[in-house]
Amino acid sequence: MEKLGTLKVNSLSKGFGPKGQGLKVLDDVNLTVEPGEFISIVGQSGCGKTTFLRLVVGLESDYQGEILLDGKRLNGPDLERGVVFQDHRLLPWLTVEKNVGLGLKNAGKGEARRKVQEHIELVGLKGYEKHYPHQLSGGMSQRAAIARALVNRPQILMLDEPLGALDALTRMYMHQELERIWRQEGITMIMVTHDMDEAIFLSDRVVIMSSRPGTIKKIMPVKLARPRDRASIEFARIKEELLEEFHLHTETPFAYSI
Amino acid sequence: MNIPLQVAGFLGRSYRGAISFLALIGIWAALARLQAFPAELLPAPDAVLTTFLQSAASGVLGASLGASLGRIAQGFLIGCSLGLLLGASMGVSPAVESLFAPLFNALRQVPIIGWIPLIIVWCGIADLSKIVFIALGAFFPMAINTFEGIRSVPHGYLEVARVFEFGKLRLLGKIVLPGALPSIVTGVRLSLGASWMLVVWSEINTRSAPGIGDMLDSAREGSKMDVVIVCIVVIGAVAFLINELLGQLEAQLQGWKKTSR
Repeated sequence: MEKLGTLKVNSLSKGFGPKGQGLKVLDDVNLTVEPGEFISIVGQSGCGKTTFLRLVVGLESDYQGEILLDGKRLNGPDLERGVVFQDHRLLPWLTVEKNVGLGLKNAGKGEARRKVQEHIELVGLKGYEKHYPHQLSGGMSQRAAIARALVNRPQILMLDEPLGALDALTRMYMHQELERIWRQEGITMIMVTHDMDEAIFLSDRVVIMSSRPGTIKKIMPVKLARPRDRASIEFARIKEELLEEFHLHTETPFAYSI
Repeated sequence: MNIPLQVAGFLGRSYRGAISFLALIGIWAALARLQAFPAELLPAPDAVLTTFLQSAASGVLGASLGASLGRIAQGFLIGCSLGLLLGASMGVSPAVESLFAPLFNALRQVPIIGWIPLIIVWCGIADLSKIVFIALGAFFPMAINTFEGIRSVPHGYLEVARVFEFGKLRLLGKIVLPGALPSIVTGVRLSLGASWMLVVWSEINTRSAPGIGDMLDSAREGSKMDVVIVCIVVIGAVAFLINELLGQLEAQLQGWKKTSR
């Protein structure tokens, strides 16, 4: 018996163009994600990883195969699945507070305020409740977007290159934050990225996709203790293994000088 | 934020703007003093000021201006509301768009003045025809800008609404209307500008009752250039004020943008 909150993707294919018969973007993708797992999907741009994510969120339709959550076929977007977009997509005319509360449904006023406050604190934006998005830095905007996606307590959080637009240092800092939030909330996270370090640092498993049409080439478990050390030998070894899949590893990693 | 600096900046800008006004009046006064033109063609600034004070005191100016503003209020409100309604329905519903867009786009190519013969034949030359005329002029810019504003709401925000399972009302209230607001306010501005121009125009061309345009044209008939200039200055000043007020309103409605400049 599967655990509650298991996402199962069976022979998923998706084409764009007339009746989905045109350009094939995804071909026969199979993946099972355990509840509470952190999965990264890596691949070159155009490999269909974002399309995969959008299909699971429910923003794309017309596919072949099955996407099942607890055995039930997904049908359109659902508050059970949150999403953080690459561009934070905060509404510029609403404050951080209002943006975070945007997704709340059927919550009393006091309850809503408590939930919003709780999630603003979770992402470390306390004190910025009344700020407008243009007053926030890129990292802070993405934090607010994460809070907004989590406020409904979804079972699964989908992240579409959420840190892609941040500078390297902010990004590394956000990795730690994301890991902390993931642990604290205990939810499933599926992240699309093309940053190998990011994928290894955060994931239980890294799904490697190849392009045209997008298929899963390999699924690589990352069995390192958390929190992970980017400078460790094990980390580097896994990264090398990962890069090998993209034919990017260096044959002689050592340079000698006398 | 440095408030003294901002105040200084504002004053600096207004002073600079005043320079061109003063220069114009200066040249005008010089031409009048040198008698470059006969006084009945170009009255001196002080003569115009006296005329202004006289017509303001006698109530003629106020009555004319009031009558014109009354016509605007009616014509603008009717045209603007209908424009908002059509623009919003076309923006929200592709079905309504495909139904009305071709007709709308054909009709808006007709210059507003081209409607005059029809309107006069149908509505006469009294207030009704002027109001219809103003409403027509206010309608088109409002409808276009509302439509475009709604259509230009970024697709990404609509996806956010889908992810959060927004109903139609929340989608409209939280995303579509705020997103379209800048463009809608531009529509109001253009529409009010058109109304003001058309009220003057229609009063000059179909003179039937008091109004600022009527006052201007009868002054021209009587070769009272001082009154003509008073009318022109008043028309310009009112338009300027309307524009300023709408600018204030715009800034108020978009407070979230203010500090980004």
